[in-house]
Amino acid sequence: MRGHAFMVAGYIPGSSLIHRTPLALKAALLFAVAVLCLASPLISVLVGALTTTATLVLVVVAHFVASLSWQRMWRAVRMMLIFLVLIAAYQWWQHGPLTAWQVIAAIVATVLASNVLTATTPVDELLDGLAALVKPLQRFGADPERFSLTVALMLRSIPFVIGAFSDVRDAARARGLERNLLARSLPVVIATVGYARATGEALAARGLGDPEPRDVEHDGGSLT
Amino acid sequence: MIDSSHRGIVLAQAGVTLPPADPRTQQAKQILAPLSLTLTEQRIAIIGANGSGKSTLLRLLNGLLLPTTGTVSVNGRSTHTDAAAVRRSVGFVFTDPLSQLVMPTPQEDLELSLRRQKLGKKERRDKALAILGGYGLEHLAQSSIYELSGGERQLTALATVLAVDPDILVLDEPSTLLDLRNTRQLMQRLTDLPQQVIMSTHDLSLAATFDRALVIEQGQVAFDGDPHQAISAYRELAG
Repeated sequence: MRGHAFMVAGYIPGSSLIHRTPLALKAALLFAVAVLCLASPLISVLVGALTTTATLVLVVVAHFVASLSWQRMWRAVRMMLIFLVLIAAYQWWQHGPLTAWQVIAAIVATVLASNVLTATTPVDELLDGLAALVKPLQRFGADPERFSLTVALMLRSIPFVIGAFSDVRDAARARGLERNLLARSLPVVIATVGYARATGEALAARGLGDPEPRDVEHDGGSLT
Repeated sequence: MIDSSHRGIVLAQAGVTLPPADPRTQQAKQILAPLSLTLTEQRIAIIGANGSGKSTLLRLLNGLLLPTTGTVSVNGRSTHTDAAAVRRSVGFVFTDPLSQLVMPTPQEDLELSLRRQKLGKKERRDKALAILGGYGLEHLAQSSIYELSGGERQLTALATVLAVDPDILVLDEPSTLLDLRNTRQLMQRLTDLPQQVIMSTHDLSLAATFDRALVIEQGQVAFDGDPHQAISAYRELAG
């Protein structure tokens, strides 16, 4: 199931303008996308819909400027398609088509923008960025390296969980159990726990993920 | 500094027993009988049948698994009380390299290993590429780990573990998934290492080249000593 991990996320090497943009600026733009999409409807529904649509268009343009494929964009949208349809239907019913469009466009724009960021930024650079972000909290006992590693591994686990859902659904279908909730959910939980354990062991195998020793030497420390 | 008398791995009545899943109907299962060993030789082979307890023994050595009885200490540090330090000094290579590689590409995985060295971003990247180059894998630096062959993956896994500069390297049947050419390449790498190497294997001709061999049978050490004698003992046990 780990084979799915390469399908939906991860860095795509390249030399586009977006690839060359510093992580801090990309993160700030991602934040701006989220703010525009979430805050603009507070002014009015029409302003919200227009702003969100414009933001979505810019995000899609950024996606292609980064030389990312249609398939990658479609995969990101397809993963949440059911939820988008349900949310759109509810919003249409409660607030009308304009609000429904604004909400859906906001979700898609934010997800695609984060997709562009992760596709154009190597994991190592993300780790550095996260560590730098948390560094001011070091004086309160936070460990920036562990925090960034945790977030990076969490991001890495999302494609696995999606892949696990897909595999388990196929396996359930093959046995005529596609309507059996237990058959479709329990193996995902087991696989995910197994993946988490395996990842922990993979880190332990290299001595990574533990708090850094403060008073020991680089060669693994001393007893004295 | 570490007292030289503490060098090596010491198991003192270390054993592993699994609690029963259902205590009303099942009994605890002994995976590894309490055993006492001192492992100081440069190259030690562990041989034995599937399910004999080899992997359990190896996992005790870097604290991936804690003994349910007795203690394991590495260079004087207990895996119970000083687990992080033990993990930093004992690298572990799994049978399946996909269990080892957690990042999308070999370069990123190596850079993850190098983060502990507090290098600058460019220095870390250059060093990762240099290490991959040393293994003939530089051209695959940015490939998905799923696009690599079994041999390339296992070499990458070995590189990522060695990049943290462990004192001891433990390998759990690293050649099981490899063809003959890749097995030879991997073994050549291991032969050249300055680190102490403790490896389980089904390759008896390879085990014969080690300094010491242990035969594990049904969770117990059936033989411990000269590799050629160990292989004879193992063949007798296998019938």
